[in-house]
Amino acid sequence: MDISYHDVLLVGGGGAGLRAAIAAAETNPNLSVAVVSKVYPMRSHTVSAEGGAAGVIKPGDTLDDHAYDTISGGDWLCDQDAVEIFVKEAPEELLRLEHWGCPWSRDPDGRIAVRAFGGMKKMRTWFADDKTGFHLLHTLFQTTLKYNAVTRYDEWFVTRLLVDEGRVQGVVALQLMSGRIQAITAKSVILCTGGCGRVFPFTTNASIKTGDGMALAFQAGTPLKDMEFVQYHPTGLPFTGILITEAARAEGGHLINKNGYRYLQDYNLGTPTPQPVLRNMELGPRDRLSQAFVKEVEKGHTTDTPYGPVVHLDLRHLGEKVINTRLPFVRELCLKYENIDPIKELIPVRPVIHYMMGGVHTDNNGATPLAGLYAAGEVACVSINGANRLGSNSLPELLVFGARAGRAAALAAMEQRTPSEHAISQAQDEKARLEEQFLRKTAGRERVATIRSEMHQAMESGAGIYRNQTSLENAADKLRELRERFRDIGLDDHSLTFNTELLAALELSFMLDVGSAIVESALHRTESRGAHQRTDFAGRDDQNFLAHTLIFRNPDGRIRLEKAPVVITRWPPAERVYGVKPDVKEVAAR
Amino acid sequence: MAEAILKIFRGTREGGELAEYRVPVAPGMVVLDALHHVQKHQAPDLALRWNCKAGKCGSCSAEVNGRPRLTCKTRMDALPQDKPITVLPMKAFAVIKDLVTDVSWNYRVNKKIPPFQPRAVTEWKMYQPDIDRVQEFRKCIECFLCQNVCHVLREHGKQEHFGGPRFFVRVAALEMHPLDGLSRTHLLKDQLGLGLCNITKCCTEVCPEGIRITDNAIIPLKERVVDDFYDPWHWLLRKLGKKVSKSVAEH
Repeated sequence: MDISYHDVLLVGGGGAGLRAAIAAAETNPNLSVAVVSKVYPMRSHTVSAEGGAAGVIKPGDTLDDHAYDTISGGDWLCDQDAVEIFVKEAPEELLRLEHWGCPWSRDPDGRIAVRAFGGMKKMRTWFADDKTGFHLLHTLFQTTLKYNAVTRYDEWFVTRLLVDEGRVQGVVALQLMSGRIQAITAKSVILCTGGCGRVFPFTTNASIKTGDGMALAFQAGTPLKDMEFVQYHPTGLPFTGILITEAARAEGGHLINKNGYRYLQDYNLGTPTPQPVLRNMELGPRDRLSQAFVKEVEKGHTTDTPYGPVVHLDLRHLGEKVINTRLPFVRELCLKYENIDPIKELIPVRPVIHYMMGGVHTDNNGATPLAGLYAAGEVACVSINGANRLGSNSLPELLVFGARAGRAAALAAMEQRTPSEHAISQAQDEKARLEEQFLRKTAGRERVATIRSEMHQAMESGAGIYRNQTSLENAADKLRELRERFRDIGLDDHSLTFNTELLAALELSFMLDVGSAIVESALHRTESRGAHQRTDFAGRDDQNFLAHTLIFRNPDGRIRLEKAPVVITRWPPAERVYGVKPDVKEVAAR
Repeated sequence: MAEAILKIFRGTREGGELAEYRVPVAPGMVVLDALHHVQKHQAPDLALRWNCKAGKCGSCSAEVNGRPRLTCKTRMDALPQDKPITVLPMKAFAVIKDLVTDVSWNYRVNKKIPPFQPRAVTEWKMYQPDIDRVQEFRKCIECFLCQNVCHVLREHGKQEHFGGPRFFVRVAALEMHPLDGLSRTHLLKDQLGLGLCNITKCCTEVCPEGIRITDNAIIPLKERVVDDFYDPWHWLLRKLGKKVSKSVAEH
C-alpha cells in the first residue's frame, strides 16, 4: 500500500481548510501541509456564501455590540469566551484578506463598505458584491499558492481516520481518478469538511455537503455537539432550493403572504416600516422567520405551488437601479432558474435547510477531545453560533477558527513522532473493507438512491422546523432500519476510475450516522430554543438545558448523550427581543 | 410529459461511444437534471462532476449540442426539442471517464502566476469603480469552458506554451488591482504565450459569467506587454537603466 507522510493534514479545501493551511504554513515553514479534498478547492461550498462577513470596523459599532447580537441570536447557547475571541479577531482576519487581494466593496470615500444583516443591530457586514464567499475562497486559494509546503490532494475522498496510541495519525483516502486507496499520514489532522445539509431533501447546500468530517470524528469516538440545531434559511427558491441572500431583505425586501400582508408583524418581530430597520421584521433572525412561515402555512395564508407552499419576497419597490447594483446575482438566479424578474415580479420563497450550528466538539483553538484532531468551520462547533447562527457570522468564523486551528495543529505536529506501524496496518484493513463491502461485492440488494431518499423523507418529516417526540422517534427508528439495510448495499459500478456510485455510497453511510446524531440529540433536548422547536416542550428551559448536548458513539456502536456547560462571561441569559415600535429611528441607511 | 433523447459520451481514455437515453422533461429542468435522471434510473455508473447546481462552483462543464456550457445553467426548454441532445466531455482536456476530464493542467499553469503582492502603501483606500473592474475578472468560476473553446489549446494543443484565457483573466485581476505592486508582463510574454492569442473572442462568447475576456482582459494585457517590451522609447530608457513601469517580477 502507498503511504505518504505529512505533518499537518487538512480534510477539506474550502474556506476553513485553506485558511488553516496558510496558518499552519506560516507558523512553521518547515512543516509539510497536505490539503485533501474530494473536489478541487475552488468547487467548495464556500463559493456559495453570498451576503457577507460580519466584523466591527465602523465608528459607532463595538465588539460588545457584535458579541451581544451573536449571543442573543444564539438564544444564549453560545460560549461567550469563544464569541469574545471571535468578534475581536473577525475584523483582523477580514483586513488580512484585503491584504491578500480580496476586493471588498467600498464606500464612496474609498473605505470598506458594510451592509445590514438579520439579527445585527449595527451595520457591520462586509461584502464583495453579492459573491462574498466566492471572492473570499478565491483569495485564500491564490494565497495558498505562495506556500510550497502546501501539497494538494485534489479529488481524494477520506474514508476514515487513523487513530492509534490515543491520537490521530492520518487518514485513509481514495483517489477518485484512479480508485487508488492509500494512507496519508500526518501528526495532526484538521477537519474542514463543512456541514451536512444533504442529509435533508430540500437544502441550499451543494452536493458535497454530506457531513463527512462529522462522521469521521464521530466514528473515531469524538463527540458531536449541539447537533439538534439545524438552521433553515427563510428564503430559498422552491424546486431548486437555491438561496436568495438575506442581503435582499437588508436592502429593503418585504416578505408577504398570499394576501399581500407583511405577516412577520404577527410574530413578535416588530412593526412594518417603509425603510428596513435593524433587528426588526424582515431583519429578524433566521430561526424566527422560518418558524413564522410554518405558522402561516397552518393558517392557510401561503400560496400552494407544485413544490409546496410558498410566501413571496417583494423587491419591486426597490427599483431597477438598486436591484441591478446591489443584488445583481439575486436577479440573475431568479431569471435563470425561475423565469422571474424581481424588478417586476414577486419571488416565491420557502424555508430551506441551510446550516448546521452543531458539529465536532472543539475548544477555542479548534482542538477536539481526541489528541491530534482539530476541526474548523461549519463542521465544528466551538460554539459561537449557539442555537441559531446569525447571517454573515459563518465566513468570519471559518477565518478566525480556521486560522486558530491551523496554528494549534502546527504547534502540536512539531512535537509528535511519525505514525506507528499499527496505524498503517489500520489503513490496510480499511482498504480491504472498501474492496469487500463495495467493489468486489456483487450480491448486494439495496441501492444507494433508494436508501438516500428514504433517509431524506425520515429527516424532513421527523426533524424539521418543528419536532416532537413521536416524529423524532419515528425518524430514529427509520434511520436504524436504513443503517441495517445499508449493510446489504450493492453497486452497479465496480470500476476503479472515477466511480461516482462508490463515492455516493460512502457519503450515504456518513449521512446515516450524522442524521442519527441530529435526531438523537433532538430527542434528548426536551425544550425549545433557537432553531430547535419542540411542539411537546414549548419554551426555553434554562434550568435544565442551558447546556450543550454532546453525543458520543461508543466502540460497541451504542450512542451516549451528555450535557456540557455553556460558558457565560458577561451576558446573563435573557429574553430574546426583536422588533421595534414605530417611533424608533434606528434606520438602516442604504 | 414530454420526453427528451440524450446522447451521452460513455467511455474512457481508451475510447468510447455515444449512448442514447430517454428522459422525461419537467418544467424548469436543466441538462444536469437530465443527466442525474440517467444516473439514477438507467446508468448508475455514469461519471460526471457537479456540486452547487447554481452556476457558482464551475464543476459541470460539458459540450451540449456542440457548445461548451455549464449543464446546470442550460435549460432543457432552451434546446431544440425535436432532436436528440448530445452531451460530450470538454474536448481540450483528456477524458478520464464519460463527462469527466483531466483539468489538472490548469492548476499547473495557475501555479506559475505570482499572487497578489501589495505595493508599499500607507492607506488601504480603493474606489468602487476600481473594485468593479477587478471584480469582473475575479468573478471567473474556473469552469474552463474558455480554455476548452480556445483554438490555441483545442486545435493546436499549445498547452506547454500558452496559458489560455482563464489565466489571462487571472493575471488581469492582479495587474489591474489598484494596490498590486508586481508586473507580470514578462510572464505573459514568455511563459503564458499571450502573443499566440489572435483575439477571435471565442472565449468571451462561451463565458457563463459574461466576463468580457478579450476586450477587458486580453487586449489591455497585450497593450501592456507591447509597452514594456516593444515600445522603442521604453526600450531606450531600459538601455539607459531606467525603470519603466512597476517592478517586473523575477521568473
